[in-house]
This record gives sequence, structure tokens and C-alpha cells, in this order.
Amino acid sequence: MITQEELATTSISMRYDFSPKRNIIGDLSGLLGNFSDELIGAFYPRTVSKKANIVITELVNNAVVNSADGDSKITLEIMIDEHLLRIRVTNAAKRSQYRKVKDHIQMINSAGDLRQLLAETIRERRKDRLRGGLGLIRLAAENKFTLSTHYKAPYLVIDSQIGLGGLS
Amino acid sequence: MKVLAFGEIMDGGTSVFSSVAKVDADLLIISFGGSIRIDNPYRYLEQYLSELEQLLPHEKIGRIEFDFKELDFCNSNGFYIIMDISEMIIGSIGGPITVKRLKGDDWQQETLPILLNIDEPEIEDRITFEEFAGI
Repeated sequence: MITQEELATTSISMRYDFSPKRNIIGDLSGLLGNFSDELIGAFYPRTVSKKANIVITELVNNAVVNSADGDSKITLEIMIDEHLLRIRVTNAAKRSQYRKVKDHIQMINSAGDLRQLLAETIRERRKDRLRGGLGLIRLAAENKFTLSTHYKAPYLVIDSQIGLGGLS
Repeated sequence: MKVLAFGEIMDGGTSVFSSVAKVDADLLIISFGGSIRIDNPYRYLEQYLSELEQLLPHEKIGRIEFDFKELDFCNSNGFYIIMDISEMIIGSIGGPITVKRLKGDDWQQETLPILLNIDEPEIEDRITFEEFAGI
């Protein structure tokens, strides 16, 4: 009989490419988030699969909303093993968009107190009812993911990862 | 127990999120269930919020219970509506507040206290969290 601990050593990797981006009209981020939650949850504890759901939902939604070219591709890559959960999302972006995301991630990564940053950002944005702008901070502060980004013209890549030591 | 107000979000013809406000003697129970994934939850929940604002002053309530156990997912656009509902209720009703939440859920553990404005000492003093092992 396989134990839960053994199940949580399973290596899984998935990759989805969607093109053209303009054909994405439904709740793609929700579909991918929920499906991955179920799939990862079949091997790993729900605390891990729920993290994946939230990260996939936020990053894919960002990619769909901010993608710079309707003819381009959106890619989601998911990799999990007993040590690490990595989620990477790629979408077409202008260099100026990349610089903005890079600055935002640098600001998150250099914040001394992520909870404080999340609290202040929520309160600040709530005043003006601003949509968006919370997702990446949330992934770092709430879900404890480490974020990074790079640009491979014309594609912006956002990488998020979390060590699973102690979680699974 | 009586149902005071009910709000829901429909997506693709299906109810994906609901919140119910019930009164049981002096206890107000606000429960949340489902998922908030849409971009603009106000479109669906504004009326619920205004009904609560109108009805609550007529009730004799001395305790509040927020039940988040059945709330599976809340995107960042859902944060403001949770804040509006909880702020309006906490501001208009005194007394102790119980918050039922899931132990293993990151957003309920990390972000929900921020949305409830627990950094305010007078609110923190009133709130007790009850943890449930739901996931």
C-alpha cells in the first residue's frame, strides 16, 4: 500500500500553449487553476495543490489581460516534485511592460515585511477601487512563492517557485 | 433563525459564489461559499451590501460570526467586497466577533486578517478565530 508520503514524491510536469491569444474568451485561468488543483491534489496535500491553484489563476489571468499581441501565444508550465513547485507563465509583452513587471518584482523581493506590503497595497488600492496590482504581492506574501522575471523578446516570462520542505 | 439577506455571483448561468446573512437571537451569521473569480464582483453583490446596510439597524444583534469555511477561492478583486461587507458590519454592530476559517488555506490565514482590519487594536480585541481542518 502506497503511503501519502510516497505519493508526495511524484514528479509531475505539464505544459500548455494557447494561441492565438485572442481566442481565449472564457475563464482560462480558473479552468487551469482548478484542474491543476485536482491533479496535484491527487498526489500532494491540498495545502500544496491550493497554492498551485492560486498562482496559476493569478499568473494566467495577468497573462491574458496584459498580453500585448492577439496573435501571440500564452504558455503555462508547471513542475512539481518532492522538493519544489515551479510555475512559469509566458506571454507577449512590450519591453516597457517587462520593465514595469521587473521593477514590481524587485520591489516585492526587497520588501522587509511582505505582510505589511500586502496590507498597505490593499488599503491603498482600495481607496481608488483599483483593479489588479495585488496578484504578485499576494503570491509572495500569502503563498510564500519566490518570484522572478526575464524577457526573451517579444515574450515576458514570470517564474514562481516554492520549496516543499515541510509542506508535503 | 431568519435569513436577512442573500447575495450571489452568477457565472455562465451557474451560481459560483454566495453569501447569506442570518440572524439567530442576538447572533448575526454571515457565511461565504464558493469562489470569487470574476473581475467585478460588485456587479452582483452591490445590492446585497445595500440591503444589509438598510436591514441591520433594525435588528437587535450583540454578536457576529463570519464563516469563511466554504469559501474555496477569492481572487484579488474579491478582496474589496469582503472588506466592504465586513467593515460595514463590524462598524455598525458592537460585541464579540467569531471568524470561522480553514487552517490550511493560505488566503484565509494570511490575507483574511488584513481584510478584517485586524491591525486596528479595537477590532483585534473583538475577534476570535476558530480554525477548521477543511482542506
